[in-house]
Amino acid sequence: MAVAEMIKSIAQAPEKEYYLPGHRTCAGCGPALAYRLIAKASGKNTIFIGPTGCMYVANTSYACGPWAVPWTHAQITNGGAVASGIEVAFKQLIKKGKIKDEFPNIIVMAGDGGAIDIGLQAASSMMYRGHDVLFLMYDNESYANTGIQVSPMTPYGATTMFTPSGPEIPEAKKFFPKDPMAIFCSGGHPEVKYGATASISYPVDLMNKVRKGLAVEGPAFLHVQCPCPKGWTYPADRTVELGKLAVETGMWFLYEIEDGVKKWNYMPKKLKPVEEYLQTQGRFSHLQPEHVAKMQAWVNQRTQLLGMEVPLPPAQ
Amino acid sequence: MPIKKRGTGLTAVADAWQLADIDVTASYPIRPYTAVMAEVAKRIANGQMKCEMVHGEGEHAQFSIAHGASMAGARATTGSSGVGVTYAFETYSPIAGGRCPIQALIGDRTLDPPGDFGSEHTDCLTLRDNGWIYGWAENAQEALDNSLLCFRIGEDPEIMLPQIVAMDGYFVTHISQDYVMPDQAQVDKFLPPFKPEFRLDVNKPVIMGPQIEPEMGPPLEWDRNVVMERVKELIPKATAEFNKIFGAKYAPFVDEYMTDDADMVFLLQGAHAVTCRSAIKYLREAGYKVGMCRLRWIRPFPDAALQQILPKFKVVGVIDTNTSYGAAGGGGVLLVETRASVSEVANKPIIQGFTSGLGGETITHEEFFKMADMMKQTLDAGKIIQSSTWVNFNDYDKAAIEVKAAWEQAAPSTK
Repeated sequence: MAVAEMIKSIAQAPEKEYYLPGHRTCAGCGPALAYRLIAKASGKNTIFIGPTGCMYVANTSYACGPWAVPWTHAQITNGGAVASGIEVAFKQLIKKGKIKDEFPNIIVMAGDGGAIDIGLQAASSMMYRGHDVLFLMYDNESYANTGIQVSPMTPYGATTMFTPSGPEIPEAKKFFPKDPMAIFCSGGHPEVKYGATASISYPVDLMNKVRKGLAVEGPAFLHVQCPCPKGWTYPADRTVELGKLAVETGMWFLYEIEDGVKKWNYMPKKLKPVEEYLQTQGRFSHLQPEHVAKMQAWVNQRTQLLGMEVPLPPAQ
Repeated sequence: MPIKKRGTGLTAVADAWQLADIDVTASYPIRPYTAVMAEVAKRIANGQMKCEMVHGEGEHAQFSIAHGASMAGARATTGSSGVGVTYAFETYSPIAGGRCPIQALIGDRTLDPPGDFGSEHTDCLTLRDNGWIYGWAENAQEALDNSLLCFRIGEDPEIMLPQIVAMDGYFVTHISQDYVMPDQAQVDKFLPPFKPEFRLDVNKPVIMGPQIEPEMGPPLEWDRNVVMERVKELIPKATAEFNKIFGAKYAPFVDEYMTDDADMVFLLQGAHAVTCRSAIKYLREAGYKVGMCRLRWIRPFPDAALQQILPKFKVVGVIDTNTSYGAAGGGGVLLVETRASVSEVANKPIIQGFTSGLGGETITHEEFFKMADMMKQTLDAGKIIQSSTWVNFNDYDKAAIEVKAAWEQAAPSTK
């Protein structure tokens, strides 16, 4: 896709689907919704690489898959490396005249583990080497495919199978998450000319970011928050609502960095207290007021660090 | 016209890769295989080869990059040595199971500890259960030839399996030797362009490597098993055609030396065969009726060929240049595989194991003499005296016993 044609509203989004019904994702699955929107935005001339994760296991059961475009599995470790090989192969085969294909959109659909934890080395090297690939991290904030275990993206204070809460560790998870945009899109990977955060709750914004990422020459990175009813413990019909609440409370941000320039895509007038977000999810139900205060202090600090100038709730 | 050249096993494989017009290769430095990538990089830079070299961030990435390139339809290669080979371990089964016929050059090297650069077959032998086609080359010429032969066999539409061109580190990767680089017309006659039936193609979408349910896995594994058997059938055909086109004289599975009247043979693989042949000349003069069987392939293992060949002899001394701690019989991988191959043969020979040439050491003439002496004792006794022997450690030949006694006398405190 040489030039990104921007989508102005959901009514103008392409009708043609490339991620079709017929898979085993959970009701209310955020990553499945993301896949549908991403495939719609990227279109027919697309190849997906799916490192091991929910979007591999729940989609490809029984040796078939819901995509109308080519899709290949990669190990959870090597999405970036397999994509690198595919990209250079297409460039070389086209250059040598061995195939007549148009150079395709190549998208890695990696979960948080496959992108920022066990898959970090391959992702970083793919971006360092400048491969023309969109590395997309669908972030459901845990290793969900294996039954919800902690990942570097699991928020502070969340319970997972590996981070239960108990008298010795009342807050459950102790660490704050990694910041993938800081790792990939803040100068550390000079070939990355476009990076953005997005959310399934802002579908037009998400689809346009996919198109922008594909339009730039070289690697692009998208970090997409995808609420997970099973992992976060909330009713399946609240997925989109929770994605919005995350943005309204500063638990998620919508911005892009193009050629080093940051642009906010959505900024709430003022941040709602983080407690409003925490109380919607079972994974935070054990938190004591001091933990909530610690979380609010982190949100406030992060908001200021990212340069979002909005009124903040008190952090105590 | 074919060109007479002087080079190493690594430059010889670079020649094969140039002749095969590879599209993608993935590099990462580790001794001793590294020079093949340096050679290819030079040829890309000066326009001699039209190929994309991706600098992987490690061996795991190297094999993953080649895997991706192959899925897109490219002829792709990579390579490694020692702990680099084992660092990439996760990727071997997915590449073979995905039926991606990439080619890897492995210049073997001792695994850590102790950080030894020397040749040892253990690194590459750890891959033997993953479904790759491979064998050891004895010299630069065979390395080049095996590369072409491997592409041809591995890319056959009925096979579609990855291959390893294995060679002894330093002995083959670094010692300068004469070889002949065939000409392009010969290669084009032998090796058709790589055109997989399925690749990543937006006009013909396929799903590769999907998750499956437990009952759907065994049929895929059965298929991988069947195809390896098919490789055994294809090797003699492809070798015969290779010999015809390139004027070579390769035996399909087992290279025999002075076996016609032999009552005992050394069985080994790789570059130590060179010293072995030379030692056999001396041993023959000393009255030992000894010969050599050199394996050209380790996967698929040439069991049927050995069932035909080995009953001709009374004693077989299997030389393992690898370790497999705790293996049946106390030796290495070749001992286990050889014994298993002929276990049901009625007139099978006595098979004893030797571990030698570890850590990059040359197996010297003296060591071959010692082994021959121990095999002779087995022959005279008509039974196994010692299942396996680490040469220079627990030898039971007369000379070794004398040396050991002298050593113990000199250092009584170690008794």
